[in-house]
Amino acid sequence: MKKFSQMAIPYIVWAMMMLVLPMALVALYSITQPGNSIVSFSVTLDHYVRFFTDHDFLLILWRSLWIAVKTTVVCLLIGYPAAYYISRCRERLQNGLVLCITIPMWINMLVRTYAWIGLLSEGGLIQKLLGILGLGDRELLYTEGAVLLGMVYNFLPFMILQIHTALCKMDYSLLEASADLGADPVKTFQRITLPLSLPGVINGITLVFLPAVSSFFIPKLLGGGKYFLIGNVIENQFITVGEWNFGSAISMIMAVIMMLLMMCVHKVEMRNQGGRGKEKKI
Amino acid sequence: MKKEKRFIGKLLVILVIIFFYLPIFYMIVFSFNDGKSLTGFTGFSLRWYKHMFEKGDMLEALYTTFSIALIATFVSTVVGTLSAIGLSKSKKLVRELMEQVDNLPMMNPEMVTAIGFMLLFITFGVEKGYMTMLLAHIAFCIPYVILSVMPKIRSLDPNLADAAMDLGATPWQALVKVIIPQITPGIVAGALIAFTMSVDDFIISYFVTGNGVKNLSIMVYTMSKRVNPSINAVSTVMILVITLVLIMINVMPLVIAKRQKKTGRKRKILVPAAITCTGIAGIAIFLMSGGVEKRRPFEGQTLYVYNWGEYTGENIVADFEEYTGAKVIMDFFDSNEQMYIKVANGEAYDILVPSDYMIQRLIAEGYLQKLDASKLDCMDKLTDAVKNLPYDPHNEYCVPYFWGNVGIVYDKNKVTLKDLEQEGYNIFLNEKYQGDVYLYDSERDSFMMALKALGYSMNTENKEELNQAYEWLVECVQTMKPEIVTDEIIDNMAQGRKALALMYSGDAAYVMVENEDMGFYLPESGTNLWSDAMVIPRNAKNPELAHAFINFASDYEGAYDNSSYVGYTSANQEVMEELSGEGGEFEGISAYIPRSDYELDEVFVYNEKIRKDISNLWSKVKIAASNAN
Repeated sequence: MKKFSQMAIPYIVWAMMMLVLPMALVALYSITQPGNSIVSFSVTLDHYVRFFTDHDFLLILWRSLWIAVKTTVVCLLIGYPAAYYISRCRERLQNGLVLCITIPMWINMLVRTYAWIGLLSEGGLIQKLLGILGLGDRELLYTEGAVLLGMVYNFLPFMILQIHTALCKMDYSLLEASADLGADPVKTFQRITLPLSLPGVINGITLVFLPAVSSFFIPKLLGGGKYFLIGNVIENQFITVGEWNFGSAISMIMAVIMMLLMMCVHKVEMRNQGGRGKEKKI
Repeated sequence: MKKEKRFIGKLLVILVIIFFYLPIFYMIVFSFNDGKSLTGFTGFSLRWYKHMFEKGDMLEALYTTFSIALIATFVSTVVGTLSAIGLSKSKKLVRELMEQVDNLPMMNPEMVTAIGFMLLFITFGVEKGYMTMLLAHIAFCIPYVILSVMPKIRSLDPNLADAAMDLGATPWQALVKVIIPQITPGIVAGALIAFTMSVDDFIISYFVTGNGVKNLSIMVYTMSKRVNPSINAVSTVMILVITLVLIMINVMPLVIAKRQKKTGRKRKILVPAAITCTGIAGIAIFLMSGGVEKRRPFEGQTLYVYNWGEYTGENIVADFEEYTGAKVIMDFFDSNEQMYIKVANGEAYDILVPSDYMIQRLIAEGYLQKLDASKLDCMDKLTDAVKNLPYDPHNEYCVPYFWGNVGIVYDKNKVTLKDLEQEGYNIFLNEKYQGDVYLYDSERDSFMMALKALGYSMNTENKEELNQAYEWLVECVQTMKPEIVTDEIIDNMAQGRKALALMYSGDAAYVMVENEDMGFYLPESGTNLWSDAMVIPRNAKNPELAHAFINFASDYEGAYDNSSYVGYTSANQEVMEELSGEGGEFEGISAYIPRSDYELDEVFVYNEKIRKDISNLWSKVKIAASNAN
C-alpha cells in the first residue's frame, strides 16, 4: 500500500510549487510596495485602504457583483426548465441534446464572443430582426445588455449541464409516489424535484457566478472601453498602469469575496440536506 | 395541460440551441464573405482563408492552441490519475489538505490564478513563452483530472489491489491491470475536461505568455479591435477540427463495439483515442513544418518585433522573410504603457515601435541600445519633420516609422465646420451631440485634448491645470455619454456610426478614404505632433537582423506597403509624396499630411510624476464613465 501512496508525492511537491506558491505571491505582493527587497521587507495595507476608501472602485466592485448576479439569475431561469425538459426526453434524444450543448463549449470562448460583435453591431442581423418586430433602431453593441448577453451566452451551458446531471440522478418513481399520495404537481416540484436537484443548481450557480464576476474580455469586447468591471480594473493595473501591488490587492479582495460567497452557498446546501434528513425521520 | 407544458419546454430548448449556434453559424458564413464587413454579405469568396494561410501567424496560433492542449491533457491525465490513486491511499490529513489545494484553481477567479502564475514565473526569472504557458496549463488541468478520477477510485473496493498482489501480481501489474481498467471512464472524462479547459483558456494564457507565443484566444483578443474576417476563417477551421474530434470520440466506441462483436477480441478505448490524438498532432506538425529551405543571409534566424496592432502592411513581413530567410514573430500592444511593462520586465524583443515620449523614457532608463549608423542606409530617405526631434536629438536610438497629429473626425452631414472652428475641442461638451461621440482610450491624448481645450500646454506640470483637465473630461463623459474605445473607432467611423471622434490622423485618413462624408479638423488651440519610431532594446537577441528590418521597413517598398495599407503617414519622404500626390491612394485626404509647423502644436515630453497622475486620473475618468450609465 505504501507504494501507491508514494505516487502522490511528486504531485504534492508540484502542487505546492504551482498552486500554493502563486497564491502566496499574490498575497505577498498585495501587502508590499514595489521595489521591496528581502532585506528591507516591510508590510503595508495601503493598497487595501486605497481600494476601500475610493468610492469609484467600490462602485465598480458592486456593479461587477450585480451583473454577475443578473447573469446567474437569467441562466437559472433559462437553464432550469431547459435542463428539466432535456432530462425528461428519451435517452437517445437526451444524449443528442447534451452533445448539442457541449459542442459550443469546446469552441473557444473568445471566438464565440467575437462572433457576437458582428451580430450585434449596427446594421447586423439582430438589429434587423428587431426592426422587423418593430423594436428596431436602438444601439445594441457596447451596452450593458450586450455584456449581459455575452455572459449568459458563455456561461449558460455550465448551468444546464450541472442541473441536468442532478436531475438525471433523480429517481422518477418518487414523482409518481408523490402524485399517488395526493400532492399536486407544484407541491411535488417544491418538495421533491427542487430539493433533489439543488446540488446541481448550486454547482451551476458556482460555475456561472464565479467566472462572471471576474470576466474581463466579455465587457471589453461587447461593452467597449466604457464598461469597466473589476476584472478590467485588475487587467488594467497589470497590463497598462503597471502597479502590480495594487492589482494584487484587488485580486486578493476579489478572491476573498468569492470564497466567502462560496462558503455561504455551501452552508445553504448543507442546511438543506440536514433539514431533509430530519424530515425523513419524522 | 401537460402537453402544453411539454411544448413550452420543447420551444425553450430549441430556442436555447438556436441561441448557442447562431453566432457560430454566423461566423462560418461570414468567413466566406467577399467583403470586409461583418454585417453585410457581399458574395462568396475564399480570400480570408487565403489570407490566413499566407499570414502564417494564425496557423501558428492554431498549432500552439492544439499542441499545448494535447500535451497538457496527456501529462495532466497521467499525473492526475496516478496522484489520485496515490492520494486515495494516503493519510486522511494529507488527502484532505490536498483536496483543498486542488480547489484553489477551481474556486478562485481565473484572473487571480493567472496573476499568481505570472508573478511566479517573473519571481523565478523564467522566460515567458511556450514553456510557461504549457506549465500553467498542466497546473490548472491536473485538479480537474483528479476531481473526475477520485469518485471512481472511491467506489472501488479498497482491497482490490491487495487481492491482486496476494494472487501474485506486482504492484505495477495491480495498478495497470486491475485498478486503471476499473476507473477508465473517470480518466477519459478527466482527459476530456482537461482538453476543453486548455483549448478554451484565455485569461491564464494571456498573463503567462511571452516571446510572441500566442494561442488562438490571445490572437483573437489582440486582433479584435479592427474588423478582420480572417478571425472568422481561422475560427471556422478550429470549429471543424473540434467537431471532427468530437464525432470521432462519440462514434469510436460504437465502431469498436461493433468490431469487438465481430472479432470477439477486446480492445481498450484508450488506444484508438491515443492514436487519434497523435494523428491530429502529427498532421498539425506536418502542416507547420512545410516549406523548402534556401540559402539566404539570415536563414533560420528569428526576429521578435513588438508593434502596435494593425500597424504593418499586408506583405512587408512575408517579403522580409523571403528576402532574408529569417522568421518574423510579431507581438502587438495597444498602448505604450503596456509595451513598457513587458520590456521593463525583461521580455526580449529585437525591435519595438514606441511613441516619442516613451522613447525618451526608454532611453532615460537605459532600456535601449544605440543604433549602429554604419548598418543603416535609410536616414536620408526620411522626411525632415520627423528627424532630430527633442526625444532623440540626433536619432542615435530610433528610426521614425509613422507620424501624425491627433484631431477631430466629424460627419459633415451632422457637424458644420463653423461649429468646429468656433468651439474647437469644446465641441466634445456640446450637448447637441450627446451620445454621438467617440473618445479614444488613451490617457495621453485625452488629457491633451482637455488641456488644449482649456488653453494649457499638454506637457503641463501644474497640478491645478491637470485637475481642471480631469474635471473637463469627467464633465465630457458624464454629459455626453461617449463611447470610449480603441481601434474599434476606425471601422465604426468609416461606417459613419457617430458624428464626432477624437482620432489619430492616420486612422482619420483611412476613414476618409472609406467614407466621403467624413472630415478631419485640427483645432486652433493646437494638438499633438506625434511620431512612432523603431528602436532596438538593450536585451535584443539579434540586433544585426533588427538593423536589417529597420532598413527594410524604411525603404521605399516596405514603407509604401505599410503606409498605403495602414493609412498612417509614412516617415519616408518619397512614399509620403507619392501617396498624397496625384493618383496616390490618399490624394486630397487632408488627414494624411500632418500639420508640422504650427506653434501651438507640441510633442509629448516624458515626465515620470505627471505620468502616474495622468494614468490614475484617466482610469478614474473611465470609471466615472462606466458609473455614469
